Amino acid sequence: MIELVHLEKKYENSTPLKDVSTIINDGDVISVIGPSGTGKSTLLRCINMLERPTGGQILLDGVDITAPGYDVTQARRRMGMVFQSFNLFGHLTVIENLMAAPVDILGRTKQEAYETGVELLKRVGLEGREFRYPDQLSGGQKQRVAIARTLAMDPEIILLDEPTSALDPAMVGEVQSVIRDLAGSGKTMMIVTHEMSFARAICNRVFFMDQGGIYEDGTPDQIFDSPERELTRRFVRKLRVLELFIENAKYDYISADKEIDIYCLKNNIPARTKYRIRLTMEEIVQQLLLPQGDILPVRILVEYSGEEEKTTVTISYSGAGFDPADGENKLAYDTLKKTVADISYKYDSEAELPNSVTVLI
Amino acid sequence: MPRKKAFILIIAAVITAVLFCACTKAAEQISSLSQLREKGTVIAVSTNTPESKQIIKDFPDAVIESYTDIYPAYQEVASGKITAVISQRTGMQKAIENGVSGVRLLEENYRENVIAVGLSRKSDIPDLKRKINKFLQELRDDGTLDDMYERWVMQKDYTMPDIPEAEAPKQTLTVATTGTAEPFTFYVGNELSGYDIELAKRFAAWLGARLEFKVYDWGGLLSATQAGDADCIMSNLYYEPEYEETTDFSDPLFTLEITAMVRDKGYGAKTDPFWQSLRSSFRRTFITEKRWRLFVSGIGTTLLITGMSILLGTLLGFAVFTACRKGNRTANAVTRFSVWLVQGMPAVVLLMLLYYVVFGSVKIPGVAVAIIGFTLICGASVYERMKAGVSAVDIGQTEAAYSLGYTERQAFYKVVLPQAMPFIIPPFKGDITALLKGTSVVGYIAVQDLTKMADIVRSRTYEAFFPLIAVAVIYLILEVLFNFIVDRLEPAFYPKRRDPDDILKGVQQK
Repeated sequence: MIELVHLEKKYENSTPLKDVSTIINDGDVISVIGPSGTGKSTLLRCINMLERPTGGQILLDGVDITAPGYDVTQARRRMGMVFQSFNLFGHLTVIENLMAAPVDILGRTKQEAYETGVELLKRVGLEGREFRYPDQLSGGQKQRVAIARTLAMDPEIILLDEPTSALDPAMVGEVQSVIRDLAGSGKTMMIVTHEMSFARAICNRVFFMDQGGIYEDGTPDQIFDSPERELTRRFVRKLRVLELFIENAKYDYISADKEIDIYCLKNNIPARTKYRIRLTMEEIVQQLLLPQGDILPVRILVEYSGEEEKTTVTISYSGAGFDPADGENKLAYDTLKKTVADISYKYDSEAELPNSVTVLI
Repeated sequence: MPRKKAFILIIAAVITAVLFCACTKAAEQISSLSQLREKGTVIAVSTNTPESKQIIKDFPDAVIESYTDIYPAYQEVASGKITAVISQRTGMQKAIENGVSGVRLLEENYRENVIAVGLSRKSDIPDLKRKINKFLQELRDDGTLDDMYERWVMQKDYTMPDIPEAEAPKQTLTVATTGTAEPFTFYVGNELSGYDIELAKRFAAWLGARLEFKVYDWGGLLSATQAGDADCIMSNLYYEPEYEETTDFSDPLFTLEITAMVRDKGYGAKTDPFWQSLRSSFRRTFITEKRWRLFVSGIGTTLLITGMSILLGTLLGFAVFTACRKGNRTANAVTRFSVWLVQGMPAVVLLMLLYYVVFGSVKIPGVAVAIIGFTLICGASVYERMKAGVSAVDIGQTEAAYSLGYTERQAFYKVVLPQAMPFIIPPFKGDITALLKGTSVVGYIAVQDLTKMADIVRSRTYEAFFPLIAVAVIYLILEVLFNFIVDRLEPAFYPKRRDPDDILKGVQQK
């Protein structure tokens, strides 16, 4: 069991981990997901003490491994680490990579280490490659050797830091199947990954990381199907969001238009969709809402999901209940209605901006 | 192939042209010193001799060239590159008798130099000046001094008389000499001989002291007595009032005639066929007086200094790197400063500082100082090479080792260092070659290495060409030898070049 207590990692210019507290139970298979730069790798490297935390504690079965006098090699022997860049020992053959640590650290005989090594190579599908040097292997093979090297130490916990990110797409599958096999073996595992469907398939728990810590922690079904928090939802749906505010009637239409342009360009949004987003702006905001008066401020939220290629524009505004469908300019409303998939209106007196029109493009 | 031929032809043409120009340079026969006063004359003199100072006043229009060892200038007078050499009549006479041709000496003398024994003020022998003057007086009174001059200088009888050594000596007389001033101090085979050597032997016997010679360049003699490394200088030393500021002098031994050597216009071009002259050069450089033994002993010294320095320097560099590896701030600062100090100054300056200043008051052989000096130089470069090599290994290797449970030490020796070696060895090979060549400056601190031995031989054969070529060839061979040794050792440092059969030695393979 690993217990993180107010863990903090601060660098000179950034603080990837502000305050992380959680418990990792034996047998947990945890996927760590989240946008880049949110401390996913840092969390893993702290647990393995490759990065020394600047605050808080890490308790491994109740023992604080961050304590000053503690011999971290003891903790590291119980944890295996698989790196994004493999880090196989370049001067040793495949079999020696597997034998080195058991012989040097666990005091196994060469014979024992060799036999375990051959066994593990078979397990990761690399029998017969014993005498290759790492630079004679493909990326996928290297990563499989690296996993076998970790297993040779028989660790209780395996930490995988983006194990497939440096691989050709064609090789991702072979490594994933080895990891999948491993996930079923009952060992505690933590894997940092960007492969959502893979993460979902192998784990029983997901850490979504953002804002300097574990932003949401739950089962894969919770996190991927019904996330509770906004940033998680945006992330798992792969939502790209643009938010615009209009605070007075003479707002800068040109620059708002430009922002939409940049947003579409950045997120590879098709030209047709871009045209429809603009049309929504033009018809609802310019033609229907602004002439109405007394509706400021207006908030425009554009959400584009790359996964589903779905775009919604939500326009919220204040004032008394007003459905644009009842507006004077029928022509504008009908033009838009014909172009987009759906327009719906909702009035919620509790909300800050009670009116909201949702346009599904 | 045609390009290579053309290249050789061009080189040959250039050499011929240079020789032709040198030989056809117009020159009229010079028969008096006054003719040297003309503009455009080039006069060669020995550095730090009384005549070298007087000449500047007497021949203001001449170009004066100063030579540490004057003998290479003789050939240049013969070829016309230099108008005259102004030096000792006896020495130049001897050179002509020994085969320097195309030159002659003027009848008139330019001046006379007083020759005396230089005395250290830091000598361990008490009352040295009074003793040597008493000794010289005795020698003068019984005619031995005149007899010595007659035999060595006039008769050229180079037989060293049998002088019994002191029995059960209680002190040591250390004599500084150059070994390059025939007939006063010179080498026969690898033994010192000459007027000054006989004098030294007699004086040691008279004192009841053990005799030890130290061989220096002309420039090093005075520094040696000044530092107390030698008790006295017996090397055809001129008495000079300005030297008296730092060094004492005995009563005069004799006076020397100084005259000019000029080109003999009547002498035709050398008629010796090329191969014959090459053979005679070879004989004079290596065979006569068994001079090859000088080369052998020089090679031994050079190899000793180079080999020991590489060995100790590598250990030193490694030890220092290990000490600094964990980033101790004080250790790093001290190391950075030392490396900067050692690498920042010329090797010869470092050696002289060690010899005359650091170990100035300690009796320590020059070879040991040379080994210490080059060990520092080698150590500094090994340290730098290791630093560069280790930093070239990806940090991921260390992290992977840590994550498997290796300690910092194990990770360094088992994972990082083996992978750093391929970055360290190739530049290290270059360093070895540089070190071997670099040792050629040890002559400055009285060590007789290969280069110094070639100097000694050149001073006897009056030939620059052959001994220099021989030395160059020997250095090249030694370089090949060192590289060969390193090449043999190399596979041990390249894990990937191991014999595949050795990789799993002792394991029963499936």
